[in-house]
Amino acid sequence: MKIAGEATLHAPIDRVWHALGDPAILASAIPGCERLEPAGPGTYLMTVTAGVASTEGTYSGTVRVYERQPQSSFAINANAAGVPGTLGTDVRVRLSEVDGSTLVSYDADAAVGGLIGGVGLRLLTTVLQKTADEFFAAVDNALTGNALTGNAPAARRAEAPAPRRFPPGVLVGAAAGFALGAIWGRRVR
Amino acid sequence: MTQLFGAPIPRREDRRFLTGAAGFLDDLGHDALAVALVRSPHAHARLVDIDVSGALDVAGLIAIYTYDDLAGALAEPLPLLIPHPALTHGRTAYALARDEVNHVGEPVAMVVARDRYLAEDAAERIVVSYEPLPAVVGIEAARRADRLVHDDVPGNVGANDTQAYGDVDAALASAPHRLSLDLAVERSASTPLETRGVLAEWDTESGRLRIWSSTQTATGLRAAVAAKLGLDLTNVEVITPDIGGGFGVKIVHPWPEELLVPMAARALGRPVKFTEDRGEHFVAAAHERAQLHHVEVGFDDEGRIVGLDVRFWHDHGAYTPYGVIIPIVTSTQLLGPYKPGAYRVEYDSLYTNTVIVTPYRGAGRPQGAFVMERTMDAIAHELGIDRAAVREMNFIQPDEMPYDFGLTFQDGRPLRYDSGDYPATLEKLKKLVGWDAFEMVREAARAEGRRVGIGLACYVEGTGVGPYEGGHVLIETSGKVKVATGLTTQGQGHQTVFAQIVADELGVPISDIEVVTGDTRRFPYAVGTFASRSAVMSGSAIALAARNVREKALRVAAEALEADVGDLEIVAGVVRVKGNPGAEIALGTVAVLSNPLRYAFDEASQAATQFVVGDPDKPPVADDDEPGLEGRDYYSPPHATFANGMHAVIVETDPDTAEIRILKYAVVHDCGNLINPRIVEGQIHGGVAQGVGGALYERMAYDEQGQLQNASFMDFLMPYVTEVPHGIDIDHLETPSPLNPLGVKGAGEAGVIPSAAVFASAIEDAEGVRITSMPISPSELFELRRTHEDRR
Repeated sequence: MKIAGEATLHAPIDRVWHALGDPAILASAIPGCERLEPAGPGTYLMTVTAGVASTEGTYSGTVRVYERQPQSSFAINANAAGVPGTLGTDVRVRLSEVDGSTLVSYDADAAVGGLIGGVGLRLLTTVLQKTADEFFAAVDNALTGNALTGNAPAARRAEAPAPRRFPPGVLVGAAAGFALGAIWGRRVR
Repeated sequence: MTQLFGAPIPRREDRRFLTGAAGFLDDLGHDALAVALVRSPHAHARLVDIDVSGALDVAGLIAIYTYDDLAGALAEPLPLLIPHPALTHGRTAYALARDEVNHVGEPVAMVVARDRYLAEDAAERIVVSYEPLPAVVGIEAARRADRLVHDDVPGNVGANDTQAYGDVDAALASAPHRLSLDLAVERSASTPLETRGVLAEWDTESGRLRIWSSTQTATGLRAAVAAKLGLDLTNVEVITPDIGGGFGVKIVHPWPEELLVPMAARALGRPVKFTEDRGEHFVAAAHERAQLHHVEVGFDDEGRIVGLDVRFWHDHGAYTPYGVIIPIVTSTQLLGPYKPGAYRVEYDSLYTNTVIVTPYRGAGRPQGAFVMERTMDAIAHELGIDRAAVREMNFIQPDEMPYDFGLTFQDGRPLRYDSGDYPATLEKLKKLVGWDAFEMVREAARAEGRRVGIGLACYVEGTGVGPYEGGHVLIETSGKVKVATGLTTQGQGHQTVFAQIVADELGVPISDIEVVTGDTRRFPYAVGTFASRSAVMSGSAIALAARNVREKALRVAAEALEADVGDLEIVAGVVRVKGNPGAEIALGTVAVLSNPLRYAFDEASQAATQFVVGDPDKPPVADDDEPGLEGRDYYSPPHATFANGMHAVIVETDPDTAEIRILKYAVVHDCGNLINPRIVEGQIHGGVAQGVGGALYERMAYDEQGQLQNASFMDFLMPYVTEVPHGIDIDHLETPSPLNPLGVKGAGEAGVIPSAAVFASAIEDAEGVRITSMPISPSELFELRRTHEDRR
């Protein structure tokens, strides 16, 4: 599936660039992220616990960031597998400054496989929208100095600014550079 | 006694089904070990490694099998069931993937555990590493062949074949009118409500294997398992319990699980069971229907087809276990009730990285009917004449029967129609649906701002293909009658129709007759249930067997009654001398007498002991006789018998939302003599329902990576009763088949064959836009309207 979208983060482009490359910020912002460790230049090992309805499980895989043009653009390749299925995605991310804020736009080509692939886009779409909102809100909070409350998505959610609507897709992955977190970042209750 | 053949009696099995007393595969083997499969999440990938270490400490784990654990014939590819010279590049999967997977859902490892939960837990902990390869999805991609499914199959072409009669090129060149059409049918699946399943028990003492499977062929599975596990046929028994629908998908055998489960049962010495879940069924069973067609047709001023040239491309998925049956059926059955002056058809059967394609109710005929009937409508449109009239112009006439096209059908035998009266069928249909008065209906609707359309479609269906079936009929000393045939039952009502046949042949009450199907212990020679063949094949064989039993019963009774065989009749289970009340003997007593005894076990059996009966100067069992009152016979036809039918539908399309509503659905059907009209009508109802699904709702939503995105009943839209026409008007013609003793033809698939064609015809009529691809959703119709408007 091919997805494109954009989000506005309330910080100058250099700070956004830095935040999107900071594993600590990302690990706390990606819902459900259990592990995010550097494993060589531009490469990370990641584990997220995630799921859609009856297909929840833990996904592990690698994320590679490449073609970095500082404060301008980068690309991500992510591959992960878990019990419910597999995910492979290529994402192109572009940053631009707009009135002191940063517009992050992205397009992604994702392959969702296995059981989760067969459950249908209908379920995924809803999840992705919510997860994307949460991720961007969390990164924005980190940038604007609002306290993050650890790994408690509900609390984070409550403090987040009014949700913005993003198009469905691998939003977070695209924007943050970690598509895994986007798709699998939160259990649906 | 009234004749039961032809009587619309209620199905004898319905009480069991409706009260929950039926026994399906998953109702059996509660103590059996359970199986879970690890399946490929990739459409195309190389297998790099399977790491089972994480699964080993799951409590209750019994065994894990991968390809490396398969030995002997089991390690070889699965059988290619129906070889054909045109299938030059046939490929089948391994029971467990060896070094490559070719569709999502292909089994990679099998876990056996104490129960299914634990088996799933262990399966989740098996880590399989893949090297993903580019996937070939859809016919266009397969034809482009810039990627290959199998490295050693150039162009992704598994088979190519051409059949023809007449000089098509010359006929087209000289035709007064010509049209070209491109027509597409999408992929779908039969989705029986009971998924696949198999249970196996190994008896270590005797070295015998007993298998229960939700299969359409007990004997076929038995032979395959025996061959693959290196067992003698006599040491393998296959039993089919109640089966909740087959629709073709369960004729494929052996499924990997049908080999792996018996293998594990033998290795572990314990019963082992696999029940497929719904998610698995979508990606690990079989689909059908996807084909693209190009038609060149030449015709005269009256619409008579002088030349028909069809080229089509069939998507057979990742492997070809069932050969090229579907494209052969399309190639031949496309002709329907018509006789084009010259005909040529060529197909490519193509590999894609999707689930395998095997016959689904209709099996290539829905596509063929769609192509032919769309062509008929296009000719009518081109010439500005009535659609029914064009069809009439092209019909084979009753006095031309038998009609031999000079082509070869799916059974390797001539495409030779045995009987049928197509003009009469069409006459009935036009009356039934109100064809001639429809313009008034259309005008009345238009005055109300409503948009309606009418369509019709015809088909001929080759049913009852060979090679053979057999029947066994035994009269117990109680007078009860036991009937067995080897083919299986998955909802057809065999317990009713076969009993109706025997009741008439033997003159016994139907309540005394018990029918067993699909149990190799009871009847070890059989082919299977497919191609609308059960009534024709097993019905005929059972009738012949019953006649043998009747003959013997009369012979034994004549001796006992000291009467002439010609003077005897059997009424209500009693043999009696016509016109001589009191001179009679019950069939049960005849059964006693037919089996000379040394030892009596009750009062009745005393009558058959050595000091009571028999001529002391003759052997108790004559040289050419055998003990017991039973008969066995086989029916093997020269070729298929051809049923036919015509459907018409009136639809209403919403001017705003493009929603498609069915106002009236009419069916005229000719399957020869009707054994049970109620059951035939039930088959038509079910077929029409499935056809509505195929025409308006169901499709397989593969993405370009080969992931099936609607692999659940949330997103795969099987029609509910709310989507099926409330009333289906049915009329019958009964043109007997001259090929079998009952004069019957098959009826199982009929209802579904012309669905795509008839809906396309009606929607096109309502909308005035060309419908060239099915199924069609409201969104697609909406788009068609827009592009049609743009083009104006």
